[in-house]
Amino acid sequence: MSETRELILEAKHVTKKYPASNGRTLVANNDVSLNIYRGRTLGIVGESGCGKSTFMRMLVSLEAPTEGEILYHGRDITKLKGEALRQHRQHIQMVFQDPAAAFNPKMRIRDIICEPLLNFGRIKRSEKDEVARKYLEMVELPGDFALRYPHNMSGGQRQRVGIARALALEPEIILCDEATSALDVSVQKNIIELLVKLQREKDIALGFICHDMALVQSFAHQMAVMYLGNIVEVLPGERVGTGCVHPYTRAMLGAIFDPKMDFDKPIESIESEAPSPLDVPTGCPFQNRCDCCMEICRKEHPVLRQIEENHQVACHLYA
Amino acid sequence: MLSIRDVSITYGKNPTPTVQGISLEMKQGEIVSIVGESGSGKSTVIRAVLGCLPGGGYVSSGDIQFEGKSLLGYSKEEWRNLRGTEISMIFQDSGAMINPIRRIGSQYVEYIRTHEKMSKKDAWNRGVEMLERMRLPNGDNIMRSYPFQLSGGMRQRVGIAMAMTFQPKLLLGDEPTSALDVTTQAQIVRQMMALRDQYNTSIIVVTHNLGVAAYMADKILVMKEGRVVDAGTRDEILNHPSSAYTENLLASVPSIGGERFV
Repeated sequence: MSETRELILEAKHVTKKYPASNGRTLVANNDVSLNIYRGRTLGIVGESGCGKSTFMRMLVSLEAPTEGEILYHGRDITKLKGEALRQHRQHIQMVFQDPAAAFNPKMRIRDIICEPLLNFGRIKRSEKDEVARKYLEMVELPGDFALRYPHNMSGGQRQRVGIARALALEPEIILCDEATSALDVSVQKNIIELLVKLQREKDIALGFICHDMALVQSFAHQMAVMYLGNIVEVLPGERVGTGCVHPYTRAMLGAIFDPKMDFDKPIESIESEAPSPLDVPTGCPFQNRCDCCMEICRKEHPVLRQIEENHQVACHLYA
Repeated sequence: MLSIRDVSITYGKNPTPTVQGISLEMKQGEIVSIVGESGSGKSTVIRAVLGCLPGGGYVSSGDIQFEGKSLLGYSKEEWRNLRGTEISMIFQDSGAMINPIRRIGSQYVEYIRTHEKMSKKDAWNRGVEMLERMRLPNGDNIMRSYPFQLSGGMRQRVGIAMAMTFQPKLLLGDEPTSALDVTTQAQIVRQMMALRDQYNTSIIVVTHNLGVAAYMADKILVMKEGRVVDAGTRDEILNHPSSAYTENLLASVPSIGGERFV
């Protein structure tokens, strides 16, 4: 499926470490390699603190990786500086979780949407009105909203403006960091439908971070599961329900509450909690919560291996 | 046990009530979920039951009865005796309910001694015992911790332990699992279900997560814009919803192996 698509962004063995107190280091991302293809969606799921946002911040060059490289059309973007970096930012745009906090409350919607275009000299000031209307209609909002302020809109409408702003520079990639987590479920569905529609029309690549596995699998072409900074499984969205094999992915799957579930079956969940990212155990990061933990899991760090087409797992059970 | 009769709740001088005409009858040991989108008034309802409506909110018509007695005429003294012993509440983030610059233990002991005459040492031991019953290993250690030293799931367990100390007849949960990760959410939900089995506690849980609501509840109330649009047993609401709104809400919940957008 993905092979036929053009590879736009490639993260290769990206590691991000932060210094912590008492001379310790916090490994936020450990040897992460993921690809983003044109017109495809990469979903990243994981629990809070697993490093998914850190990874996305590196993709948009808000942070530099400690090791590894990020290739945009074959060019390493982690070394970009100054004007070259500024010009590069046009290609990758971002949508944030809380649309109320993502805008300047004193700017009108028109100015919010047109600011990136003005920054790069793509439009004249006199064209602002017309351009803002065009983008508002693209995200299915009335053109009159151009003169409103962010506080005059509902959360779902604001998130649409956030998407309009990200679209304005016609980027190749849009990264969404929990873009629907603050929204109600029916609004969430509309936003996802909009994103998927825009993706189809414009052939945009989407990166979507979320902790809701059921949501991500419903529209991601490829889904990556992260645990304590490591990618533990990568598989196509439609195969998540039936084909996931990593014990952590299965545990997350078992812990999902769904109105369509069988209520007589008790909910399955691992009892313990994730260890602190400051002291990730040697060997498999998931070892102390895993039912199938073996001798080797305590010694050796499992690497991501291909087990079938488009499906990779980092687990000693499938080595 | 609890009976909410045609209750409307008004904030301040607002001419129209924020919540209108809510009715609910509850038996001991029953679990009721109130679901709805943000701003639908679901939290307002349970806050009214506990008599702690914020910002000038008051029950403008109807009656709330707990064990046959109307709660509306209660004096401050009567409320103090009721809250935390007969009816208690768990909040979305129990960490925010606890004073951040005091250790868990000092607050727990104060809480216990407010409601029951006992020595500090006994209160401490009671706290430790409750924490350990809520599956928090090493309760002594937790009593000596500050809230920020605990994870979100642990803080929520502390919140549940405190709420369950006096084995209340009614437990109110205001989005008790919404701030948690999925695996932790499942643990907390299971724990709350166990409370009913052990203590026959009645629970009202307010949540926007329809999956959690459906899993826990015997009865479900669906609210929209301050009114109940659908009410009934779990089976009725999930399989034969009477309103289009409920149907739409259920259809919006993403599910594994369900509708795909691409």
